[in-house]
Amino acid sequence: MNTEFLALAQMAVGGGLMGMAYALVAYGFQLTHAAGKAVNFGQGELVMLGAFAGLSLSTAALPYWVSVSGAMAVGAALGWFVERTAVRLALQQRNEGWILLTIIVGLFAVSAAENIWGREDKPFPTPWPEGALEFFGISVTWPELAIAAGALGIMTLVELAKRYTMAGIAVQAVSADQDAAELCGIRSRSAISLSWAISGMSAAFAGTIIAPVTTVGPTMAASLTLKAFSVAVVAGLDSSFGLLLAGIALGATENISGFLLGSGWREAPGLILLILALALRPQGLFGKKIIRKV
Amino acid sequence: MLKVENLCAGYSGDDAVRGISIEVAEGSCVALVGANGAGKSTLVKSLCGLIVPRRGSVFFCGENISALPASEVARRGISLCPEGRHVFVPLSVEENLLLGAYPRLPSFGRFRRAASGDLQHLYEMFPRLGERRSQQAGSLSGGEQQMLAIGRVLMARPRLVVLDEPSMGLAPMLVKEVFKAISSLRTAGMTILLSEQFANSALAVSDRAYIIERGSVVLEGASAALAKNPAVMAAYLG
Repeated sequence: MNTEFLALAQMAVGGGLMGMAYALVAYGFQLTHAAGKAVNFGQGELVMLGAFAGLSLSTAALPYWVSVSGAMAVGAALGWFVERTAVRLALQQRNEGWILLTIIVGLFAVSAAENIWGREDKPFPTPWPEGALEFFGISVTWPELAIAAGALGIMTLVELAKRYTMAGIAVQAVSADQDAAELCGIRSRSAISLSWAISGMSAAFAGTIIAPVTTVGPTMAASLTLKAFSVAVVAGLDSSFGLLLAGIALGATENISGFLLGSGWREAPGLILLILALALRPQGLFGKKIIRKV
Repeated sequence: MLKVENLCAGYSGDDAVRGISIEVAEGSCVALVGANGAGKSTLVKSLCGLIVPRRGSVFFCGENISALPASEVARRGISLCPEGRHVFVPLSVEENLLLGAYPRLPSFGRFRRAASGDLQHLYEMFPRLGERRSQQAGSLSGGEQQMLAIGRVLMARPRLVVLDEPSMGLAPMLVKEVFKAISSLRTAGMTILLSEQFANSALAVSDRAYIIERGSVVLEGASAALAKNPAVMAAYLG
């Protein structure tokens, strides 16, 4: 009985830590939706490209932190690029074409990654020590701890920047009332571009902290967009704290259900959560969009 | 200072503004008077860049600004206090005011210090805003929000203040207070364009006025003369 409970707790903790990465990817949704009322349905592919960028930089013998920073810069550029190519025009014409366009950019990213880096999964090197730490009989590996610290760290940094820099307050103003922000001399397009760049940056960073646990491959992000999307819908659009809670809950339940019901059922909780949230909380991600002022 | 020539604009279908020409001289207060739906707001929005005019042009200090986006118009010194106030509801009173000064504040770094002089001046003018500086703007009453919207405009140190229906939705006592604030801006030498339904108050506070009906100017002249014109008063009791 006790060993079974311990095994479950082990699953829950491991899953919960991974779930913080889902929360970080979902945070990217929150950022772009707040500023520009659109999200990147290829966000998972940005995570994958970020991980590959980090891998390429570290195989070029750059130190770990430089590789991670480089990956974040690549992610920021990609986020900016997706907004400029796939989202802006559609939103200016007041249609929802950005949904399909961001998915297409994501599919294109997968093919590009297969051509550049190959199909097989590769390990992602880190400077963390081998082995695991034990708390009350539950073991936690260093890469897992790095996910938790990294996700918390980036989200805290961005939230602080939103509150305590004038640029951040201006982005909040654009989210609250775009016309009024323009009247204050804020270039709302730049603010939206900035949000997409930061969203892309956090996705790429998520890639560099997920990859040491899952390995890097073109399909590593296949289910990530959906999971992060579930997290974002469940948590709502305002609270980054809510994202963390929802992410941890999703990560833990999917690990436990995979353990109890067999690995085929791992993805089930995310889908069920998403369906429930859309049914019970239609004011979630898409509820806002429907009542958008024209 | 501001010259609007034969402007036509509207959202969709028919033009709400049908060939209006107006002028605002530096240091003067000009009123646009007309009933709800006469086209005042459309005119004001299109000269501030929120609506792209279909025809006609807007000159500000000699420069044609008709095709510029609103943020660029604001950076040239025209500050619009929009109809319905449009304060940033989730942000604090002080953040709202700081945003008014956004173009000249550092994006990163000590923006509060850079704006502290202007903030202090403003809190002296509107003590209520000072008392509530860290409160959410959405928690203010309608009158306080109007003061905040005017304060945000003043933080921009504008060359031309445009006030769109500043009395809308306010209790009569608060309307009085708003007009008191406008007339003190005027005595301070601010150039003002005021769009207003209440003809009496608007004519009392302005130097010149344009009477607007169905998207066109029907009468213009010195406000004092228009206030004595029985036709105006018959049409716009208020």
